[in-house]
Amino acid sequence: MVKRELKVNLRGFLIWTGTMLVTLLLIYLVYPSIVSDGKGNKVNEMLEAFPPDLLKAFNMDLAGLDTAYGWLKSEGFTFLYLIIGIYSCLLGSNIVLKEESEKTIEYLAALPITRRRVVLDKVLVSVIYIVSMVAILGIFNVAALNISEQPDNKQLLLLSLTPLFPGIVLFALGLFISTFTHKTKKMLGISIGLVFAMYILGVISEMGEQVKALRYLSVFTLADSRGVITNTELKPACVIVSLILFAGLIILSLVRYQKKELV
Amino acid sequence: MSETILEIKNLTKYYGKVKGVENLSLSLNRGEIFGFIGPNGAGKSTTIRSIMNLINKDAGSVLFHGKELTRDDVEAKSRIGYLQSEVFLYDDLTVKGIFDHHENFYRNVPSAAGIHEKRQELVSRLKLDETRPIEDISLGNLKKVGIVLALMHNPELIIMDEPTSGLDPIMQNVFYELLREEKEKGNTVFYSTHILSEVSKVCDRVGIIRNGELIRAGQVDEISDKQLTFVTVSSDEVDALVAELGVKVLSREEDTVRFANHFPDDELIKKLSNYRIRKILIEEATLEEMFMHYYEEGQADGKA
Repeated sequence: MVKRELKVNLRGFLIWTGTMLVTLLLIYLVYPSIVSDGKGNKVNEMLEAFPPDLLKAFNMDLAGLDTAYGWLKSEGFTFLYLIIGIYSCLLGSNIVLKEESEKTIEYLAALPITRRRVVLDKVLVSVIYIVSMVAILGIFNVAALNISEQPDNKQLLLLSLTPLFPGIVLFALGLFISTFTHKTKKMLGISIGLVFAMYILGVISEMGEQVKALRYLSVFTLADSRGVITNTELKPACVIVSLILFAGLIILSLVRYQKKELV
Repeated sequence: MSETILEIKNLTKYYGKVKGVENLSLSLNRGEIFGFIGPNGAGKSTTIRSIMNLINKDAGSVLFHGKELTRDDVEAKSRIGYLQSEVFLYDDLTVKGIFDHHENFYRNVPSAAGIHEKRQELVSRLKLDETRPIEDISLGNLKKVGIVLALMHNPELIIMDEPTSGLDPIMQNVFYELLREEKEKGNTVFYSTHILSEVSKVCDRVGIIRNGELIRAGQVDEISDKQLTFVTVSSDEVDALVAELGVKVLSREEDTVRFANHFPDDELIKKLSNYRIRKILIEEATLEEMFMHYYEEGQADGKA
């Protein structure tokens, strides 16, 4: 089962990871010309005109755009959180549900295997792919930036781990929500909408004290890139909360799936 | 006394307010082929999906060897073969790929020893090409793949929902032969169909389901031999004759009527002897006619 799931989901993994790698590669290739001849400083000067809360929301108050690493710490990771989040949420909402949607569930349910094992095998495969995606992108960023610049490698490595936390929680959330429906079509809009809604809430929550509480509604808070950039360490609370949310949602999904009518 | 393999007790399932099955009870004995017949929407698939735990029962239970068949009873599931009415398999695999995948699940199942040899035999008898991708094969071949998957692990209970749909007549005969062989080995078959001629060909016992309720169950011969005949009579006194017999006329053309008759033959002849009969034809009801009779009777009673 694990072997087959790895094979079935490999193509999607390669497409998503490959697209992100190509995008990052292009940015790293063109970035030197963007910031050459002091243009980077001009960009930074221009950014100073923006409201401080807005800059804070994208870590632009901590990192300038005059280097590729600076870009990665601000806009780059924003892009990675969003794309890895969408991939993870779609994976969660599809991996079990597609058996019902494609009507192969009648065959699968007749096999000598428990429903729990079906779900857990698929969770294992998904975690392998999400971790692999984060690892590949992290290694690529470290390698690419070390060629052109001298980044703080410890900080960069820790930052590279941060997409994993919202990623696994969004995966588990997608899986849990998918236990309430029978069609993957419905889940596509729900998953993408959910990720964007959480992302926007996360951004807004950084824009002032009055809206700070909104951060608790966004899983992207768990990435805590500001904390990593400022302190060069992962906040243990974020790691623990991510693992608790992941485990809790997987348990809830198992409970729901156990009782679900499959046809 | 024959051993009961599967027992369904008071099974009830509603889809919202719509009845799927209600209070349905039946049992299957070792080594028999049990035909489960009924029109579309009668509750056949609901019954099967309840047995397979694909849907949740509202009430009742399904016992396999006297033990509740739960959705996670892996040991029991390894001894059951299931063929769904519409076969959906993984499109990215070839026929060989799905059979290999299937075999992997039965590696440590003692009752499935010899699964590979059985697969090869079934593939050869059903004339399947294992190199073909699942997404490219015809409906009939997909059904054949489903049959191999249901039988290859040597299950002692085989549950089949409309198994011959899509099979050509030659393959249907091969399939009937396979079922008879399973029966000879002592395996039990639950055979759901709406094709009545199949039931008389392969089944030992039959259950008729209508509107979610089991209305009759018994040996195929027993049901066919029940005192139901169809009588066609031509007489100048046809109205008086029908009034005396109190039968429901199925068709009428001038002074010729056709009706379903429940009287024993000698009693019928005695009653008819009071009238001038020009022509009479008494036909034994076939299983199909029996089924239609029961079904129409129910409809007339407002039950269907």
